[in-house]
Amino acid sequence: MSRLHPFTLLAVAAALPALAWILPAPAGGAGAAVVALGLAATAGARRGLWPALLTAAPFWVFLLMLHDVATTVTIGLRLTTMAASFVWVVAVLPPPRLVEAMVAAGWSARVAYLFAATLSAVPLFKARGQRLIDTQRCRGLSPRGGLASRLRALRALALPLILSALHEVDERALALETRGLAPGIRRTPLAPPRDRVGERVARWGLALGCAAALVWRIA
Amino acid sequence: MLIPVAAAISLALSAAVEAVALPLFLDTTGTILATALAGPVVGMVTGVVTTAVNTLRNPTFWPFVVVQLIVALYAWAAARAGLFRSWRTAIPAGLGLGVLAAATSTPISYLVFGCTTTGGIALTTALGRALGLPPLGACFFGSTLADLGDKAVSFALVTSVLHALPRRAAARFPWALRAIGAA
Repeated sequence: MSRLHPFTLLAVAAALPALAWILPAPAGGAGAAVVALGLAATAGARRGLWPALLTAAPFWVFLLMLHDVATTVTIGLRLTTMAASFVWVVAVLPPPRLVEAMVAAGWSARVAYLFAATLSAVPLFKARGQRLIDTQRCRGLSPRGGLASRLRALRALALPLILSALHEVDERALALETRGLAPGIRRTPLAPPRDRVGERVARWGLALGCAAALVWRIA
Repeated sequence: MLIPVAAAISLALSAAVEAVALPLFLDTTGTILATALAGPVVGMVTGVVTTAVNTLRNPTFWPFVVVQLIVALYAWAAARAGLFRSWRTAIPAGLGLGVLAAATSTPISYLVFGCTTTGGIALTTALGRALGLPPLGACFFGSTLADLGDKAVSFALVTSVLHALPRRAAARFPWALRAIGAA
């Protein structure tokens, strides 16, 4: 499954929730949820099926709290489809492969970089945030107490994190220019994923299928 | 290069929020900051990137991408009006954004998720129902309770950051000085 072109994986992940919403409930949602959970299972129980079920489970609880059983089942199946298909696509599609596919398809390398850079910066900043929390605690900051003291603690934690991140903007811009990510420059992908004719046809088929289902439901 | 950094800030602030155990998301802080520093287009792209990356972690974020766009446009108007000049102006502006964000997110939350986007919102929606509000009204009530504090704190944080930025750094961002009323 992970050998499929990234755009095909994304098309499947987008089409399943769309069909779950478009097709009549509860059968349409149930069918889409079964397919999505089946796909998640192909990524492995630990990386696919289990995270998908864990993501969907709280929604069922909250839905039951707020709605009757019929509405819970209708919305719950749609949300389960949504959760399972996204968990599946994240499990089988490494971000660098998506970036390669986007560059090969003619997208600007800068656009592709936005996603890759954000994905790589988040764990970095989170780790820095954790270090800041430890540092501030060593200096006597207490993140507990009343609302005002918690807000003061939040400011003491967030401000250095944001300011240090902003100082990196220059460094990153220089590094990117050095590596040829300036506007107007087209990069050659090193290992572009193979986009077979069959997959391109399947993607169009999915889009047309969703559009046809929508027209059928509206008519 | 501000966009990935600002988007990552929005996502990384969760560590600070968890440390102080406050019911906040702060997932629009990067969008507000990017808009205040570099204008609405950068802010809107930051919002889209933040939502896209957040979606990889939790797929329920994607339908709310429109809220990030509204936040960027509102922050742009606030920056133009110099509302980041002090907390006294920024916090009411943040509260206004809270109401606007809740009004934008309520139809999405109601139609797509049945008002169950997070545990906190589900509980406050249940409280709204217990108070006798109709389903959509209870959903708006829940979203507003969550968004008011979140957006006010986000605006206050961005104001602190803009004022703490060294003048040389601030001068590189065309909107920053105007946002704090210094230009």
